[in-house]
Amino acid sequence: MSSPAAVLAIDARDVEKSFRSGFARGRRTLALRGVSLAVPRGTIFGLLGPNGAGKTTLLSILATLLTPDRGTARVLGLDVVRDAAALRRRLNMASGRPSFLWSLRVAEIVAFYGRLYGLSGAALRRRVDGLIREYELEPYRRVPYNELSTGLKQRVALAKSLVNDPELLFLDEPTLGLDPDVSVRVRAHVAALRRERGMTIVLTTHYMREADELCDEVAFIKAGRILAHGTPDDLKRQIKLGSVIALRLDPPTVPWLADADGVLRVTPDDDGWLECTVDDVDKRLPVLLRQLIGDGVVVRNLQVREPELEEVFVELAR
Amino acid sequence: MWAVVVRNAIMASRNVFFFFELLFWPIVGVVSIGFMTRFLELTPAQTSFVLIGTIALSVVNVCQLEVAYAVLMDVWSKSIKHQFLAPIGIRHLTVGSWLVGMVRGLLVFTLVTALGGWAFGFRVLQPGIGPVAMFLFGCFVSAWIVGVFVCALITLFGNRAEAFAWASVNLVLMLAGIYYPVSVLPDPARAIAAAIPLTYFLDAYRSYFGFATEFASPITTGLVLSALYAVLAHGAFFAAIERARRTGLLLKMSE
Repeated sequence: MSSPAAVLAIDARDVEKSFRSGFARGRRTLALRGVSLAVPRGTIFGLLGPNGAGKTTLLSILATLLTPDRGTARVLGLDVVRDAAALRRRLNMASGRPSFLWSLRVAEIVAFYGRLYGLSGAALRRRVDGLIREYELEPYRRVPYNELSTGLKQRVALAKSLVNDPELLFLDEPTLGLDPDVSVRVRAHVAALRRERGMTIVLTTHYMREADELCDEVAFIKAGRILAHGTPDDLKRQIKLGSVIALRLDPPTVPWLADADGVLRVTPDDDGWLECTVDDVDKRLPVLLRQLIGDGVVVRNLQVREPELEEVFVELAR
Repeated sequence: MWAVVVRNAIMASRNVFFFFELLFWPIVGVVSIGFMTRFLELTPAQTSFVLIGTIALSVVNVCQLEVAYAVLMDVWSKSIKHQFLAPIGIRHLTVGSWLVGMVRGLLVFTLVTALGGWAFGFRVLQPGIGPVAMFLFGCFVSAWIVGVFVCALITLFGNRAEAFAWASVNLVLMLAGIYYPVSVLPDPARAIAAAIPLTYFLDAYRSYFGFATEFASPITTGLVLSALYAVLAHGAFFAAIERARRTGLLLKMSE
């Protein structure tokens, strides 16, 4: 049987963190209240939650940029406090709204961080050239950082975050403020990193579509606590938002539909569709159809829609 | 360490402020002090005494600023978290910056001593290569110590401590006897001066220009004190970073 360290990239238990501020640092804000988290190796894991939920704090603790007040966190089998120096070689991070030394050029930035991770000579040149090619930064390699667009800066940040070929990559809102087409490309890059290199990726995001598209597992965090954790589909089921069966019927309304077994609610829309929310679509749909047909109702059109992760987020953030 | 050397060297070659640090202020310092010595009709030995203080100020200042840039440049560009996410020790940061600082300090030293010699008859090599090298070494070590303490303060208090980068050297030089022997200082200040390594390196170098040393074994005392402060500065910077990781300042300085 494999040990947890071999299977888990992250094993955090009861992590607490508070920040002090104000006069004489007398005001204490609890950012994390006993967070436990297990992230399997080779997965893309999403941390979701409203602003100030504690996502970045948790990410920063796991990346050794912050020390926890209480609890333990093992990342790639190493303790984030005791083994921080050894751990830093094996992970990296990119943030939304990245910032690097303004007057350094694109290639110089990537090379600077490459040297910090111990690369030199031909190996450094190969890595810098490779990353610049991979992120389509070739035309900008001699452009100073402060002259780049937001999208290009984000690509530089991603290139920098891969300079040490990390086993674990933290992405803090990687598509924040990017144009939709750039976001799509960034997401494609992230998916490729896991697919081609087997990298474990932990990302925070506000964009539910991003989490739904990319993440194998997600955790919802709010006010420093993890409220739900699982695959996106698990969560949709856990929250019991139900699935929607949209029906176009003749006659357009059926009085008994709202009282049928498993039907949570029926909502007519302006286009003549009835949106019928059910607890379990696989179980309820055949029964409903049999009952409708048996009642002489003609089903002219039918669509089934699973709930969006965004609806789960709204429900949990409430 | 090489990463920091290359980065600081590139930044130094691109920033207009570096030109002022390297040329403008050192030249202004030597020229204005030199003319003051003429106006006061000081002897060649007294002129040398005063110019040595000016040269020390310029060299220590430019070198310690470079050490402080190890943190300052990343604070200004809000990228400091990436530096501390990497597997490097603080010695890589401070020694890497120091190496560039010494090159810049040596340039400043060459420039201002040449100017001092040409305009005011200051003979830098009068004591011989060894004493000059020891004096420069004392300036560079003092710069490293001050620079690392400045890094610690910035890491402890954030941007608010930035002023220390420019003010601290002037304070140290004032107490170490920039234009005067420390014997003229009031008692409490003299006691502080005796705890500053640079005081001893200035005293030793000036002794070659005909001034009696104020301390027994100034070089040895200067080196011992330097070693002590180097350990303290390193420890202070390390503790400041650990605290910044605890309080979250490391992240705040990157936002």
